[in-house]
Amino acid sequence: MTVSRSGLSLEQAPPISVPFRFFLTAPIFGLLAALLLLIYGPEALTNRWAPATLALTHLITLGFLGMIMCGAMMQMLPVLAGSPVPKVKPVATAVHILLTIGILALASGFLSGTTGLFHLALTALGLGFLIFIIAISIALMRIRTPNDTIHGMRLAITSLATTVILGLTIGAGFSGMTSLSQLIPLTDIHLGWGILGWIGLLVIGVAYQVVPMFQLTPEYPKKLTTPLSWAIFATLIIWAPLYLAWGNGHLPKLVPDIWILLPTAGYILFAGTTLRLQQKRRRRVSDITLLFWRTGMIFIAACLLLWLISFIPATKSQPAFSLLLGIWLLFGIAASVVNGMLYKIIPFLAWFHLQNRQVALMSMGKVKVPNMKELMPDKLAKRQLYAHLATLLLLTLALIWPNPLAYVAGLSLGISCTLLLLNILQATRRFQQVNQELSDFEASR
Amino acid sequence: MEHKLDVSGLEPPEPMERILQAIETLNAGDYLYVTHRREPRMIYPMLENMGIAWITRTGGPEGYEIFLWHKGDDIASSEIPA
Repeated sequence: MTVSRSGLSLEQAPPISVPFRFFLTAPIFGLLAALLLLIYGPEALTNRWAPATLALTHLITLGFLGMIMCGAMMQMLPVLAGSPVPKVKPVATAVHILLTIGILALASGFLSGTTGLFHLALTALGLGFLIFIIAISIALMRIRTPNDTIHGMRLAITSLATTVILGLTIGAGFSGMTSLSQLIPLTDIHLGWGILGWIGLLVIGVAYQVVPMFQLTPEYPKKLTTPLSWAIFATLIIWAPLYLAWGNGHLPKLVPDIWILLPTAGYILFAGTTLRLQQKRRRRVSDITLLFWRTGMIFIAACLLLWLISFIPATKSQPAFSLLLGIWLLFGIAASVVNGMLYKIIPFLAWFHLQNRQVALMSMGKVKVPNMKELMPDKLAKRQLYAHLATLLLLTLALIWPNPLAYVAGLSLGISCTLLLLNILQATRRFQQVNQELSDFEASR
Repeated sequence: MEHKLDVSGLEPPEPMERILQAIETLNAGDYLYVTHRREPRMIYPMLENMGIAWITRTGGPEGYEIFLWHKGDDIASSEIPA
């Protein structure tokens, strides 16, 4: 059967500066998080409500993870689905600036308690995410024959909208703009939708495409890919009112706590399938992204185990419990997967843009386009992987020996983010260098 | 004449690199027969720019078969299996 004679149009792909500005900003926010840990030390790891902990968490979730995910989504929609984000250049500029201002204001607001900073943060983040969600939703809705990846992205963006609305509501209460009676349940629901909805569903949707493509594994089984994202999303929708009912005193906490095992089971299924597919990959060579992903998948199981342990009476009331869960969810799973993906996305995009330009100029044999490994050498990526794993271990141990390990973990996070930044800059410089050679060739014709 | 190329065991963007390299070796009357495990949609705009015609079919040993030849090369085009 003939499947296709047409492909993506080059005009659909956004300029490389669109995703790269997000990718370059992310490790800088990671560095700010490291700096915060170095300044505040154990204070940032005592309980989840400490101002330094809240600032640290949002520098990682919004600054590191959010930046990369927003940039990647703007790039992936045209590449994976053939549906470009409308007005992508002004949208990317506005979203990038507004989110950067908002994240900086939010972190400073938490640390200083200044109401004005909260107001600035809520306005900038609200506006930035509003533009992002509208632009992405238009691109997603234009796809006439959505596959399971697109369904996953649609549910992820809906989860992001929910997370942002809840975040703004909590922020308004936190800064005294409105009265807030249910701070704890609302914050947990905000967290649940952010991690199990937005981050998790996007990772699942993207994995369906990129794991078989880049890691040369068999495809994910259709009987899993079609219902999984929907099932997780549906269980989250039911979990939220159950949790609020606990907050109102209508239900024992055990009910929402057991219910949350359902979406978690979905993620365990996803992690198990991914690890099994990776076992069956065709090319058994060491791959940095694969190692980052394996770390993430193993930590999905570790988080479930931790959650099950929490049912032992008096475990969950320990402040260290929620901190450990947060560290493993954010650094063990989310940062591992997202960071690992960057090592495929960045060199691939750089190569793709250069190769396209080379073909358009018919400069084959005149200007050499570097391959993926030349754009992002394994040696450099591996160094950062080790720094990331060391950070994960040190953050975990810092909960037992906060002083001095909180400072050491901060140093390790700083090293990891510096290496990531240098690696992205190295690929960017190599891209610019070859792009200039192509421009010189064009001028000499 | 048929030139065979199996890119099914390669990681992106190597399949694209190999296909682009192989195209350069095609003489008049030649076509390239590529076996792949995925549809290489991202290469299509480049082929268009290079004046290459192609046809992609599901099937073959790896799931996808792509036939490529220079546009206007009627001999190569006529030799592509139906």
